[in-house]
Amino acid sequence: MPHFYRRFLFLIAFLGCCLQAHAQQAPLVISGNFTHVSFDAFVQTVEDQTSYRFFYDPATVDSLEVNLQVQKQPLEKVLQQVLAGTALKFAISGTNQVFITKGSPIQVALPDGFFERRAPEAVQYVAPPLAQAGKQSKKKAASELKLYEIGVRRENPTGKASLAGYLRDAKTGEALIGASVYIESPLIGTTSDQYGYYALTLPVGRHQLNIKGIGLKNTRRQIMLYSDGKLDIDIEEDVRSLKEVLVEAEKDKNVSGLQMGVEKLDIRTIKQVPTAFGEADILRVVLTLPGVKSVGEGSTGMNVRGGSTDQNLILFNDATIYNPSHLFGFFSAFNPDVLKTVELYKSAVPAKYGGRLSSVLEVTTREGNKKQLTGSGGIGLLTSRLTLEGPIVKDKTSFIIGGRSTYSNWLLKQLPNKSYNKSSASFYDLNGQVTHEIDSKNTLYLSGYLSKDKFKLSADTLYQFSNRNASIKWKHNFHNKLYGVLTGAYSHYDYAVTSEKNPVNASELTYGLNQANLQADFSYFHNAKHTVDFGASSILYNIAPGSLKPYSDESLIAADALQRERAVESALYVSDRIDFSRRLSLSLGLRYSFFNAMGPREVFAYAPGAPRSEGSVQDTLSYKAGDSFASYHGPEYRLSARLGLTDNSSVKLSFNRLRQYIHMLSNTTSVSPTDIWKLSDSNIRPQVGNQVALGYYQNFRANTIEFSVEGYYKTMQDFLDYKSGATLVMNHHIETDVVNAEGKAYGVELMLRKMTGKLNGWASYTYSRTLVRVNNPEAAEVINNGEYYPSNFDKPHDFTMVSNYRFSQRFSTSLNFTYSTGRPITLPLAKYYDGNVQRILYSDRNAYRVPDYYRVDFAMNIEGNHKVRKLAHSSWTLAVYNLTGRRNPYSIYFKSEDGKVKGYKLSIFGNPIPTVTYNFKF
Amino acid sequence: MIILNWRKSVFWVLMLLLSSCVEPYEPEVIQARNSFLVVSGFLNVNGPTTIQLSRTQNLSDQSMPIFEERASVFIEEEQGGQHRLWELGSGTYTISGLDLNVGSKYRLFIRTAAGKEYASDYVAVKQTPAIDEVSWEAGSEGLEIFVSTHDPKNDTWYYRWEYEDTWEYTSAYDTNLKFVNGEVVYREYGELGIYRCWRTEASKTIKLGTSTKLSQDVIHAYPLLSVPSNSSKLLYKYSVLVKQYALTREAYQYWETLKKNTESIGTLFDPLPSQLTGNIHSLSDPSELVVGYIAASSVQEKRLFVSNDELPKNWRGTYPTCVLDTIPVAEAPDYFETGYNMPVGEIMPPMGTVVTDYTYAKKECVDCRLFGTNIKPDFWE
Repeated sequence: MPHFYRRFLFLIAFLGCCLQAHAQQAPLVISGNFTHVSFDAFVQTVEDQTSYRFFYDPATVDSLEVNLQVQKQPLEKVLQQVLAGTALKFAISGTNQVFITKGSPIQVALPDGFFERRAPEAVQYVAPPLAQAGKQSKKKAASELKLYEIGVRRENPTGKASLAGYLRDAKTGEALIGASVYIESPLIGTTSDQYGYYALTLPVGRHQLNIKGIGLKNTRRQIMLYSDGKLDIDIEEDVRSLKEVLVEAEKDKNVSGLQMGVEKLDIRTIKQVPTAFGEADILRVVLTLPGVKSVGEGSTGMNVRGGSTDQNLILFNDATIYNPSHLFGFFSAFNPDVLKTVELYKSAVPAKYGGRLSSVLEVTTREGNKKQLTGSGGIGLLTSRLTLEGPIVKDKTSFIIGGRSTYSNWLLKQLPNKSYNKSSASFYDLNGQVTHEIDSKNTLYLSGYLSKDKFKLSADTLYQFSNRNASIKWKHNFHNKLYGVLTGAYSHYDYAVTSEKNPVNASELTYGLNQANLQADFSYFHNAKHTVDFGASSILYNIAPGSLKPYSDESLIAADALQRERAVESALYVSDRIDFSRRLSLSLGLRYSFFNAMGPREVFAYAPGAPRSEGSVQDTLSYKAGDSFASYHGPEYRLSARLGLTDNSSVKLSFNRLRQYIHMLSNTTSVSPTDIWKLSDSNIRPQVGNQVALGYYQNFRANTIEFSVEGYYKTMQDFLDYKSGATLVMNHHIETDVVNAEGKAYGVELMLRKMTGKLNGWASYTYSRTLVRVNNPEAAEVINNGEYYPSNFDKPHDFTMVSNYRFSQRFSTSLNFTYSTGRPITLPLAKYYDGNVQRILYSDRNAYRVPDYYRVDFAMNIEGNHKVRKLAHSSWTLAVYNLTGRRNPYSIYFKSEDGKVKGYKLSIFGNPIPTVTYNFKF
Repeated sequence: MIILNWRKSVFWVLMLLLSSCVEPYEPEVIQARNSFLVVSGFLNVNGPTTIQLSRTQNLSDQSMPIFEERASVFIEEEQGGQHRLWELGSGTYTISGLDLNVGSKYRLFIRTAAGKEYASDYVAVKQTPAIDEVSWEAGSEGLEIFVSTHDPKNDTWYYRWEYEDTWEYTSAYDTNLKFVNGEVVYREYGELGIYRCWRTEASKTIKLGTSTKLSQDVIHAYPLLSVPSNSSKLLYKYSVLVKQYALTREAYQYWETLKKNTESIGTLFDPLPSQLTGNIHSLSDPSELVVGYIAASSVQEKRLFVSNDELPKNWRGTYPTCVLDTIPVAEAPDYFETGYNMPVGEIMPPMGTVVTDYTYAKKECVDCRLFGTNIKPDFWE
């Protein structure tokens, strides 16, 4: 079709130089009799009569015959008749050029209002042919230069229209989470959600849509919005920022977002914080955030704003993880290569979440690469990992699978020391996710997780625990303003302790927890003022709280099993985000949760008001399968408000109540693998927590520096504490060994953060207190005379600094500093002789503290060159954990040894720990 | 640059992972006005009952323990008679020949010299079943000693053990000389030597066992103690006397808490120290803290002997390291006067008949009585 192309090129050139000649002329008229004439002849006649000039591909019109009589008709009418019944379309430009095309007409004019808004980028290039417009047609917008028309074209459009779509990585097709999409004038923006989905309500007309995101090339799209429509945007990864943090997304979220008490970490941030064993560890990084503490190193249990370790809901792709650690807590259970983001809600927990008192930690994995097969991995001193990802059906279905394992077991065998080489310690974990885009409205996500730990510290007892999780998620877009997600998830956690050295006592103790969830969540973008989220969820628990079995033929162990615990926890929620104005917004939420403990079960009834003991059992009540024998329910309020003071500062307030029906029983300071999760029942009430928080937020220097102050006050009721000498394992009446405690926590968190530039990082200071009181008649003993006492993790002063300095694109360093008050401990008050042995008497619980804690870590990242075409991109991380080698005390304890009392200080990392990790990506 | 032996470096890496670091620690002085009454001992059904009363001290207090003297101590039967214990001194009170009724309950009643009254709860009398066997095994680390018992009536379930181990040892050098009144003389014929001795030590850790998880009341091969293979205790003959006590469930819990608080502590997963509540109370001030738990039971004992020739031949015991030196006879009186050194033997020149020098060694190399007794225990085989 050379003819056509020539004409087309001419058209481009013509439009290019004559853009300004876009003036309207009086329509010309045509007269004539055409019978059985070819289209070419018809054109010749018209061109002779008028100044119209035709452009077309002769091949498309060779079979067209014109039979028509016209008298002084405008060309539009004539052509309509001529072309009626064919696939040909025509377009007439302002300079009387007529274009005949097959299928759809050529756009000969720029959209209305194209030049009304000042858009400097727009005039720098030749206006391209406009993309095809069409009602609700879904577009994939990859070009910054092109103008995308959205919706049905109308004359002089007014009002507002909604725009929604997905943000995807241009290279991998993966959804981009948390990238911001906004227009500058007026400032309207949003961030993409966990599916990469965004929805905006904008005034109709022409806009420049800006998209910014962590590790993404900042980009923009030219849009012409006529009415509601969709626009999917493919964005390129910023290759240079392979490691660097660029939290440009939500740049002003600190000030402009309604959420408070939320911390979001990107895997890139996580990866550059040095850890003890060289492996990026999300839980360690979460611990550097203000308001998050732990009792010490080597325990992954985290305490958020004074809450205990079981009050955190840890979601891994929507499935609950019960033990998020490996190897006594020295590694977190999450493989950094498959992770995408980690989000921690510590005060204004969205109504969608519930079931834990203190926080929600949402861990999301990446979607696999939709375009090509790639992989990444790392080799460290103790662990190695490998991740593969790729398309199953290109651009539609992708997978990602990651695995991690340790060679500590092999290392232990090499040790000359007998007690070490009889020990063993190993773990592995596997993650997999499949994403399938059924069509533009439906997406399916399948995710699985498996982890297993095994360790034996002397030659006798073997501990094993494992997590198994699976989730399936179906996301359906009803229309631009409403989408829903249906999630089904299954979580399993178990542990086993086997001992076989003494054949008569050889035993196996097992514990198992199963949880199945079904959840439906909907988001409705009513208009620019209202965004409504609503949904329902239900969790079915089935716990085997303990079973003891003989483990050898000679074993005399009496097989024993605790009764299974079953329960259903359900909730309904609705929340509305109301934006009154740019300055004032409010989110009102209500979640109503129900809990039913189900039979079959035999339950002890205790004498009311009396201390619970086996002696105060009054009756044993028996319930059949399906009977609900204890039920609790109650509202959970979620409220937050934001008042913008200036463009760069705001004040936020939130209140929320949460209820928790599952409790962890552990009487050790740190989280140990043999901790038991127990459901509420007629003797164990649910925990209820209230928190009110107030914060002030300010951004400086064009949103590059964020400052925030948040204060909170929190109360907690009915969480569990233990009596002295409580037996938690294989206890048929555990309610007699636990006591209901109440707690209060308050504090102020200050944070200064700079996320861009060569020097970036954050510094935070927290002052907080956490106090506990045990004072109720059902407890046989009162602790510390029923007064408030500091909890195990009450560390009033806490200062953390995480800083990175990028010397060049390939070399960066990070330096972290942590200081906190020592944790409270119970110290001996007195010594005495019992016969010939000296023994000690303890003070009130937690009346003293270990010395203050401080630690400095240092890491260097050296990257290979950034050539795009390369077999594998690699980087080296060299890190030193605890650079100064300070022996931070984890605990101080006193022991009777050889009849004498001796004091000891236990530090977990008493030396600087250097590590080297090699990471690769192909 | 030092190139590490790879095994060493692996070890080093692992040490980083596994070995945390434990250092001795002296805390800031915790001073509290505390002088709580401590009651230790138990009501013995089949032997003498000995109760010791003392007071708690501040941790930093280096003085001798304070004993509670001149108190009146009674064993009282529930709805029954009273038996007074005799004071022996050092806060010790005793009574023997008492026949406690297995069906009754008893308590300990104390009136201090200051007139304050304390009493334990009434406790049931537990009959302790006999020890079936005290066995031993040459394990990879050393001599391991086990105790086995059972209650045919399936009624005991909770056990506590104490032991006394006794071993025979010798000093580095045998001597037939002694230094008396400024001169070196021969030891007399029949005089007890100071070369071979016996030493006895009592157990210092709490040993508890329970059979509650089993279908029968059986304790099989409970590991009581282990003696390292290089210990000097195993050079000749070693013996251990095991004492077994039956406990009530409450008494077991008390001992278990005490053990957790004072012995099994200091690792990551150990429980927190907790409040220790005994069964002795002040009758005048219920909030006053009293330390101790009184239980009533009989005692069962069994002794085990292990001699060196039964043990693996490759076990090398630790012998005392000593050096023998000489001193001219003339200088000897002054030299031995201080008592730090003792004569070992005589040196005569070849063909000579006059002693010119003595060999000598440090006292701890010659006199075994420094560490034990040279009187052979009655039970020694």
